[in-house]
Amino acid sequence: MPDMDDAALQALRHGSAEDRARLERLAEGDAALRDRLAEWDRQDAALHALYDPVVEEPLPGRLTALLVQPAAPPRRLWPIAAMVAPLVIGVALGWGAARWSGDGGRDTDSLLASAIRAHDTYVVEVVHPVEVPASDEAHMTKWLSKRVGQQLAVPDLTADGFRLVGGRVLPDTRGAAALMMYEDDQGQRLTLYIAPEPRQPETALRFADSGPTRGVWWVEGNLGCAVVGDLPKDRLKAVATRAYDQLTGA
Amino acid sequence: MTFLDEIEACLPSLRRYAFALLRNRDAADDLVQDTLERALSRRHLWRGDGPLRAWLFRILLNRFRDDRRRDRTALSVVGAMIDPPVSGGQDERLDLREVHEAMGRLPADQRAALLLVGLEGMSLAEAARILELPEGTLASRLGRARAELRAMTGRSGPRGERKATET
Repeated sequence: MPDMDDAALQALRHGSAEDRARLERLAEGDAALRDRLAEWDRQDAALHALYDPVVEEPLPGRLTALLVQPAAPPRRLWPIAAMVAPLVIGVALGWGAARWSGDGGRDTDSLLASAIRAHDTYVVEVVHPVEVPASDEAHMTKWLSKRVGQQLAVPDLTADGFRLVGGRVLPDTRGAAALMMYEDDQGQRLTLYIAPEPRQPETALRFADSGPTRGVWWVEGNLGCAVVGDLPKDRLKAVATRAYDQLTGA
Repeated sequence: MTFLDEIEACLPSLRRYAFALLRNRDAADDLVQDTLERALSRRHLWRGDGPLRAWLFRILLNRFRDDRRRDRTALSVVGAMIDPPVSGGQDERLDLREVHEAMGRLPADQRAALLLVGLEGMSLAEAARILELPEGTLASRLGRARAELRAMTGRSGPRGERKATET
């Protein structure tokens, strides 16, 4: 074989335009080198033939969904949400929640604002409110726990008339967040939203009330949790307390 | 282009790379989703002083290594393979299948390196920055990967005979 080893040839082949021109000149007078280069061309062509079809596929919804999630400041998004959602959004609630965000850097959304946005996005979904249905609860729990980074318990809220619909993972400025959706016999839905909150002090249950969407939230351990729904205040508090007891007892 | 537009433009090649690396569709999209979530949550760390594509590939490869450390067995499982596309005669088809299988037998670090330059068309310098390796180290790794692949696809002698690795 010629005096250059594979590593040196790789450096030229994937180097600058100058390197590649030099390699071409070397190959002109060297049949063995030309064979070697042709073999590498065949390898690259095979890789393209094998894996390029993936590039032509439409992007899966779970990826594009992340890109349409608001990355811009939340305030600009409220009017849009109000236009598209068939519900009246609690604007004042959102503002109150934004104030709550404490040290919140300018691109940090408050936990409750994120929870309300998630609730409003998915509560109107008839066909795909969740990614993993309640019928697959064990898998869902494992998946959500892995993504949020802590073992989660799925609260049983049947005593309050709410059964689990299922769950999904959502992007949050704090990391991956878990959403669990519940529904009662009248089709009234409730969202439990859990996101990592490593820098926040623990809080008691807090209630925010404005417009039809109400929320209760708290921080416990390294997790921030919010229960959001269009429920009477007393009923929402009762459900949130039950969820709180089960999550913190886990 | 906005930050999100630029990310979206990179997604097809990230998915291609992840699939070629992991060889399992669901695992590949999990990895890309993970990468995307991480990139979005850390967008304030990206100062726009380098190509966004390189930043995304670096996040993806870090996630890949983290996952392997955490759960070696799960990721070593080779999942549902695609049927290599058929275009041309039997020989070409056999060839692609052989290459796909051979890629699966390459050590993961060699596969990751070879796919960056051979499939994603990156230069040695760009790939070295992404892998956080000196260029010389990467060049040797590529040389070994190429030689292994050649040996496993039966082009360096009788079929199945493994040629001693040159370094």
